[in-house]
Amino acid sequence: MKEKFTIWQPWLGLLARLILGGVLFIAGYLKIGTPDKSQMAVRAYEILPNSIANTLGLVLPFIEILIGALLILGSLTRAMAALGGFTMLIFIIAISQAWARGLNIDCGCFGGGGAVEPGQTKYLQEILRDAGLVFLAAYLFRYPSTKFSLDKNQVTHNSQEDVE
Amino acid sequence: MAQAKNPAGGKDNFTRNLVIAVVLGVVLIMLVPTLISKKSNTNAAIPSSVSVEDGYGMVFNKDVKDVPFIEIYEDFQCPACQRFEGITSEYIEDLINTKKAKVAYHMLSFLGAESQLAANAAGCAADQGKFLQFHKLLYANQPPENSGAWTSSYFTTLSLGLGISDNAYDKCIANNEYKDWVVNVANEGAKRNINSTPTVFINGKEVDRNKAYNSLAEFMLAVSKA
Repeated sequence: MKEKFTIWQPWLGLLARLILGGVLFIAGYLKIGTPDKSQMAVRAYEILPNSIANTLGLVLPFIEILIGALLILGSLTRAMAALGGFTMLIFIIAISQAWARGLNIDCGCFGGGGAVEPGQTKYLQEILRDAGLVFLAAYLFRYPSTKFSLDKNQVTHNSQEDVE
Repeated sequence: MAQAKNPAGGKDNFTRNLVIAVVLGVVLIMLVPTLISKKSNTNAAIPSSVSVEDGYGMVFNKDVKDVPFIEIYEDFQCPACQRFEGITSEYIEDLINTKKAKVAYHMLSFLGAESQLAANAAGCAADQGKFLQFHKLLYANQPPENSGAWTSSYFTTLSLGLGISDNAYDKCIANNEYKDWVVNVANEGAKRNINSTPTVFINGKEVDRNKAYNSLAEFMLAVSKA
């Protein structure tokens, strides 16, 4: 069993990297063309002061692209997994508080965002999706050596100490 | 994309670091123009009847006193705005013509490039004294979001129907002359925390989204109470 895991672990890591990185990359890419909308999506959570929300709305899509691209390429896997997982945790908290306060918003994860009609919210799906991504991030943080990665020592299977 | 193996395998992180630098560089190169294009420009050219102190809105009856002040935030591409316009525009235009309300239109552009072009064109139409007519006509011809339908020649052709045939107008549209103003309007909307379109204020108070946007009677009631 243990041996089998040693063989599969880097491949599972590759899959986790591509899914987590791919989701982040696409999420960012879909938002960079419409900065006003992205700002609106962040404001709609009603957590941050307006000016900070507007700045975050501008910058966040680029951060997502950066983390996503580095994960896909397998550079700084462990650090990027930690950052990506952290980002997803923040999203979960933000969505949960919107849900708990009875706001009617779209998460704006892949563009869109802002107010929606009552009954059109998808909070549970959004939280479950992000929770799945947190799990992948945690896996990559624990096992950062993966197949086809640019991080060094990817040939050996116990490279955690070398990362970063 | 993920196929590039580290040829050295062991100690050398040169390839990885190079890749990180390239990715970081590309992201920054994309980020900087976005930040610059979103900066407000206080020297921006503004169309006639725009009031800077009213959030760069297109204002009618600016100096009429003791009447309700209606502020409308909308996006030419937004279907809910089209519905709202269809329900309320005749009434609002009547209020404007009879000087029974001060009205500010804020043409936001969060739905993307074609909204920006449309808002610019509306500014050009305002210079011809045809903002309200253009506003109505454009909503009546609203295509699906960012379908590529709204181009310079589309706006100039459409405006022939309003009796606008002026080289200055065509140039204003082709050169996107009011694009900085369009950015300013968007930024003022963001500062005011407008998270949905349409958003309507009467005397500074937001109108009930679930009632007055879908019914002329409710909207008239909200205005008369102000």
